[in-house]
Amino acid sequence: NFGGGVQSYFLLLRFLVLLNLVSFLLIAGFVVIPSIVLRAVHSSPANHTGPEECMKYDPNPQGLVAFYNYVLDFLSGMGFMEYSYLFYGYYSNTLVGDRNFSYNIPLAYLFTVVFYFAFCLICIMAMGTAARIAVATGGSAAGNYSMIVFTGWDYGCLGDRATKLKQKNIHYRLQVDLEEQLMKERAASLTLSQKVVLYTLRIFLGFVALGLIGAACFSIFEATVFSQGILGLILEYLPSIVITAGNFLVPLLCEQIALVERYRPSTTVILALLSVFLRLVSLGVLLFTLWGQIKCQVDLEKCDLCQYNHEEYPCWETRVGQEMYKLTLFDLIVTIGALVLVEFPRMLVDNWSNKVARWVGRQEFVVSANVLNLVDGQTVVWTGALFCPLLPLINTAKFVILFYCKKVTLFANCRPALKTFRSTTSNFFFLMVLLFGWAMATLVMIYSVAIHPSMGCGPFRFFPYMWAIVPMSFYRLSEVTQDFLFFVGSQAFSVPLFALS
Amino acid sequence: MGTTASQLGKDLLSEYQELTFLTKQEILLAHKRFTELLTKDEKDLPNVRVPMEKILTLPELKSNPFRTRICQVFSTSIVKDGSLTFEDFLDLLSAFSDSATLEIKSHYAFRIFDFDDDGTLDCGDLEKLVNCLTGETEDTRLTPEEMRQLIHNILDESDIDKDGTVNLSEFQHVISRSPDFVSSFKIVL
Repeated sequence: NFGGGVQSYFLLLRFLVLLNLVSFLLIAGFVVIPSIVLRAVHSSPANHTGPEECMKYDPNPQGLVAFYNYVLDFLSGMGFMEYSYLFYGYYSNTLVGDRNFSYNIPLAYLFTVVFYFAFCLICIMAMGTAARIAVATGGSAAGNYSMIVFTGWDYGCLGDRATKLKQKNIHYRLQVDLEEQLMKERAASLTLSQKVVLYTLRIFLGFVALGLIGAACFSIFEATVFSQGILGLILEYLPSIVITAGNFLVPLLCEQIALVERYRPSTTVILALLSVFLRLVSLGVLLFTLWGQIKCQVDLEKCDLCQYNHEEYPCWETRVGQEMYKLTLFDLIVTIGALVLVEFPRMLVDNWSNKVARWVGRQEFVVSANVLNLVDGQTVVWTGALFCPLLPLINTAKFVILFYCKKVTLFANCRPALKTFRSTTSNFFFLMVLLFGWAMATLVMIYSVAIHPSMGCGPFRFFPYMWAIVPMSFYRLSEVTQDFLFFVGSQAFSVPLFALS
Repeated sequence: MGTTASQLGKDLLSEYQELTFLTKQEILLAHKRFTELLTKDEKDLPNVRVPMEKILTLPELKSNPFRTRICQVFSTSIVKDGSLTFEDFLDLLSAFSDSATLEIKSHYAFRIFDFDDDGTLDCGDLEKLVNCLTGETEDTRLTPEEMRQLIHNILDESDIDKDGTVNLSEFQHVISRSPDFVSSFKIVL
């Protein structure tokens, strides 16, 4: 009874929870559990070659560690959490060899991640074709008012509370539609000079919005560079803080701007959807600066020895994994914090006095902003999956918590969404955005697979690039298998197969 | 024929099944709920008329904003006080049942919305209708300007012959374009 938009939000959330859970089981089964078994079995490591300098990696904390350090470490993924199954650096590059059974951990790691991406893509496509939530949508369709008034009431509504809720819903729908109509009539009746003024105002405010986005990107860039130099928890979290602040403030400002410009409500929805661009761009900026530091765009001589910045990043994959971990955790903390600190007091204020509530405005469940939060979180997880194998598990837990928190918020605080939502077209848009996030994460993965892995840690320690494990393992296979695979790949086999299918 | 005996006779049951859209279980359940509303003495009398206040204690009708009009429309009482016999009650449930057709439902919806019973929906009817939909209290009503604009829009959209009122066929024309009217115009015990 809150509308189709809210329903599609919770459906998307459930889908993502399942996706993350299944992906985690995949990763656990093929990578984590064999690694645990390997540690218990203590196989001999592979041969080491390479400059000594590059292989120095000692993440374990020295000396006595105070208690609060554990909390800080949990939040930032450093200290005791760094050298653990959570991050890439802990996995070994050994090939478990037994007489009958051999398990190639680096190969499994790489293939699992690649398969994980393919699996996510298939799931998104399946969801896109399967989910057709046809909901009666709002908007100025002809005959709309008569429809709402004559057919709007649900006679199956039982109980006072549900009835009052439905009545409020209808009231707001009518109000919004009437308001839109008035604004349209007003806009149509503007004189030429008034129109010119309005358009110049819009262009100016458009530039202001662009400027804000540019400023946000620049501050993210600066924050990332700054935080890599000095330690300290706030500074550790600086990129996440700036990104989240940007994600909150810029859409808010855009909304205020839109109100000033007296746009129609449907346009503000589009503006809210445009803020997804900002979110993914900010993530991209973070990664870009991070890699700039790792590959020494600034100080070229640092990278001469090991082809990456081995002084500041002895294990750079873990570092990137930590940034993604922090982003995920911070997002969760902020959401819970917003719930507790902002929405509950608003509910209390509502129950106290109606006047103050009307001035502050009752909480509204804005579907678009919430869905974009989800997509953003999921993109972060995809980007970080290569470096932090347990991230899907953390994300599953995070989304489950989010599910129940949002449910509580919705039923206790919110009034029904004011802006009736074109469910069907927006569903498609959200899946497009999810796909875009996935594509970005895939680009990141391809880039990481192609550059030089750290020599001090991780399963790809002594390869020039991660993908090199595949040819190497290939040549270890028996002659017969190699010949078979060559045959399958050759033209004699694949062309007829293609023609037949 | 009427009945208020504690048990419903088999032939009466099949007769009701033929005359209404209800299934056997629904009729038996309706009978059970109706007899719960009767006092001890009334239970043995035939053709008892239950006053409107008692009917409105049913949870399915209690919070419905159209409850008074529903009772008045289905009541066959001479004094038009909204009281229902068991057969009126069955008529009500039949019109609101799953299997009732669109024509039946739209016919009764029209009668329910026609607050002054004059056969057409004029501005007064529409205003009362909108007030029922949004809530009767002061802060849930639309402002007079909004109401005026809304009624103007409704008449613009549905009044095809431009006589200032919405008659039954114009009403049914609007209803026929709605895909979920049939599923929302439903009361199930």
